[in-house]
Amino acid sequence: MNVQVERFSYDDRIVRWFLGATMLWGLVGMLVGVFVALQLVLPELNLGIEYFSFGRLRPLHTNAVIFAFTANGIFAGVYYSSQRLLKTRTFSDALSWLHFWGWQAIIVAAAISLPLGLNQSKEYAELEWPIDIAIALVWVVFAVNFFGMVLKRRERHIYVAIWFYIATIITIAMLHIFNNLSVPAGWFKSYSIYAGVQDAFMQWWYGHNAVGFLLTTPILGLMYYYLPKAAQRPVYSYRLSILHFWSLIFIYIWAGPHHLHYTSLPEWASTLGMVFSVMLWMPSWGGMINGLLTLRGAWGKVVEEPILRFFVVAVTFYGLSTFEGPLLSVKSVNALSHYTDWTIAHVHGGALGWVGFMIFGMIYWLAPRLYQTKEIWSRKLVETHFWIASIGIVLYVAPIWAAGITQGLMWRAFDEGGRLMYPDFVETVMRLMPMYWARVVGGSLYLAGAVLCAVNVLATRAQRPARYEEPVYEAPALTPAYQDAPAVSYLRESGAHVARVAYLLERVTSLQFHRRWERLPVVFSAWVGIAVVSASLFEIVPTFLIRSNVPTIATVTPYTPLEVLGRDIYIAEGCNNCHSQQVRPMRHETERYGEYSKAGESVYDHPFLWGSRRIGPDLHRVGGKYSHLWHLRHLDDPRSTTPQSIMPSYAHLIDQRLELDELPRRLRALASLGVPYDRELTEGVEMARAQAQRIADEIVEQGGPEGLENRRVTALIAYLQRLGTDLFREPEHPAPAELPRQARRTDDATD
Amino acid sequence: MRLTDVMGAAGLSGWAEAALLLFVAVFVTIAIHTFSRRRSAQYERARHLPLDDDLPAVAPAGPGRGDDR
Repeated sequence: MNVQVERFSYDDRIVRWFLGATMLWGLVGMLVGVFVALQLVLPELNLGIEYFSFGRLRPLHTNAVIFAFTANGIFAGVYYSSQRLLKTRTFSDALSWLHFWGWQAIIVAAAISLPLGLNQSKEYAELEWPIDIAIALVWVVFAVNFFGMVLKRRERHIYVAIWFYIATIITIAMLHIFNNLSVPAGWFKSYSIYAGVQDAFMQWWYGHNAVGFLLTTPILGLMYYYLPKAAQRPVYSYRLSILHFWSLIFIYIWAGPHHLHYTSLPEWASTLGMVFSVMLWMPSWGGMINGLLTLRGAWGKVVEEPILRFFVVAVTFYGLSTFEGPLLSVKSVNALSHYTDWTIAHVHGGALGWVGFMIFGMIYWLAPRLYQTKEIWSRKLVETHFWIASIGIVLYVAPIWAAGITQGLMWRAFDEGGRLMYPDFVETVMRLMPMYWARVVGGSLYLAGAVLCAVNVLATRAQRPARYEEPVYEAPALTPAYQDAPAVSYLRESGAHVARVAYLLERVTSLQFHRRWERLPVVFSAWVGIAVVSASLFEIVPTFLIRSNVPTIATVTPYTPLEVLGRDIYIAEGCNNCHSQQVRPMRHETERYGEYSKAGESVYDHPFLWGSRRIGPDLHRVGGKYSHLWHLRHLDDPRSTTPQSIMPSYAHLIDQRLELDELPRRLRALASLGVPYDRELTEGVEMARAQAQRIADEIVEQGGPEGLENRRVTALIAYLQRLGTDLFREPEHPAPAELPRQARRTDDATD
Repeated sequence: MRLTDVMGAAGLSGWAEAALLLFVAVFVTIAIHTFSRRRSAQYERARHLPLDDDLPAVAPAGPGRGDDR
């Protein structure tokens, strides 16, 4: 047979650049993290500057560490390992650079737009629509570059790490596109096409799977390549890695609804999410065991080699997080943990321990190879990084676990008389302050470790040769026609006389087809796509199409034009980062906040604002609870009404004029999504002005300042005063049958 | 009649459970077959792929195109 031998070289330059970007953005993202953690203990630290408030910077932190630090690290790791596993150069140098600079431009756009308050409010999908489109385009560039590599490869078998990369590329594309579908109202504003329950469902389908397919599958791909490389021994069980892969593909995609337990999401959906989450535990541990057992017989190396130690701790944290995750998804545990810091501790165990340590370990392994020095500049510094980062994780996670459980228990505590033990929300916040300080210390240690890493990488780079070598390799091209080795038939060999169907059965069960897929990337990718798409459809479509899942409530009407503007301010300021709008049907919640939230109440909420963490109290029933003047004073200086509050001041909303120019466009956008606006579309501005005047007059009546009718704060107050009040209004045409049963009974809200 | 009415009347709420069983079945099938013995040789080669990817350089390792300096 005539085999054509081809020559090629690897593109390590692009890997070097992605590695540099990983370091740079890692430092930025972690620094912002420490800064916002400090704001929770010293709220004055926003320096009175609106761009620095917690609500705006927290999304910047999450986006920076996920999409800037982690994603750049993944790109570096994927390009280095894929070229070698597939024995080919990247598909196109031009695409590689388009990918690099496109992604960095997106990060810069995010770093500018988020502090400016331009966001869609959905967690980890905050970026506005023009940036979303750019993300989709750059992702396609990455996909073409990657699949091009797979198609022109010189190694027939596609190693399991590549499978994980393929799953990442396909699934992230799907998640990103469907969660971000929105109708623009100008360049910097858009409204999600989904509302209320459906939007919440889409968001957490996205949110959970973003964790699954950006923080898990690609990092596992890296683990299956770099861990064997660093340990210089093959992965313990290739079978287990296959099982690990398919279990994540088939199970992970269902687990999202566990973020919405006891909300107005239909119960079947949240139960389904819980069942699949619990099922995830075993395969995840299979993966962890596979990683750890790769080191069997090589544990001596772990003692000597700090890189391996980073990997061992990372894999251990993968195991911890994938045990804690299923635990938190169990409804009865979630009843305690939801809205508390327990979730934050869980996330940071995974992020700092698993993702961070995998990437740092990989950076240390790559740096001397990429910069073509014999060794990393200082092994001692790697050691130091390992220890201070490990201590940092413990100091972060353990107190925040304690904080979560403490606050959860305080919220639900009743005294002997059946009254809430801690009716004052801020009391439950003050109890957390020592833990929050410990977090600042832990986070700072982790950041200090990252600084050491950056120093070490830069010093290694300084020792690079005058010119990098680019060795040329050769390998035979793949022949277009590949013959499978003839399938072994045990039946035929045994010579037994059996029915024809038995042979057929044997062919199927020999899994010949799977062996073929593993070499056929297109077919393989298609199957991955089918698995994740069909799972998503089975779960999501019923919520959208089965009307009984969202019972309508006759008295729930759309927001007024002024309230729409107020809601937009609420979103821009990121209020939902600290305040939920979803009262769960439990006695301690209804005691504290009022009637529990119904699905039918958020049918006009584009996007939903249920929130995921209560750093401050729930706001769903805040409407009418306080006077306008109270809200004004509270927003101006939260400590004037609640002396211990850790909320930042929103005094700028009192100074800034309320601009109504954008209003008609926003109302039209909402109307196009099915919000029944009529008169609002023509007279919206006048209606908003009239309502603002009414509120401003009432503030004066209550003894407040004059002249607030054209201030932004008035719109926000209008929105806050509307929240959760529709349920209790008298219907215009009193027809008791139209009211859902729960709406008429307000006293049955017990757990 | 809207699409939601049609879907609501179709009684699809049990499909999620059906899909759950379907997915579990597919997964179990893959699990059983992955662990069938006859694939050992192939897996043995596959698991060594990351370790075997350091090809010997054939051409003189001269200065490359990818130069950062």
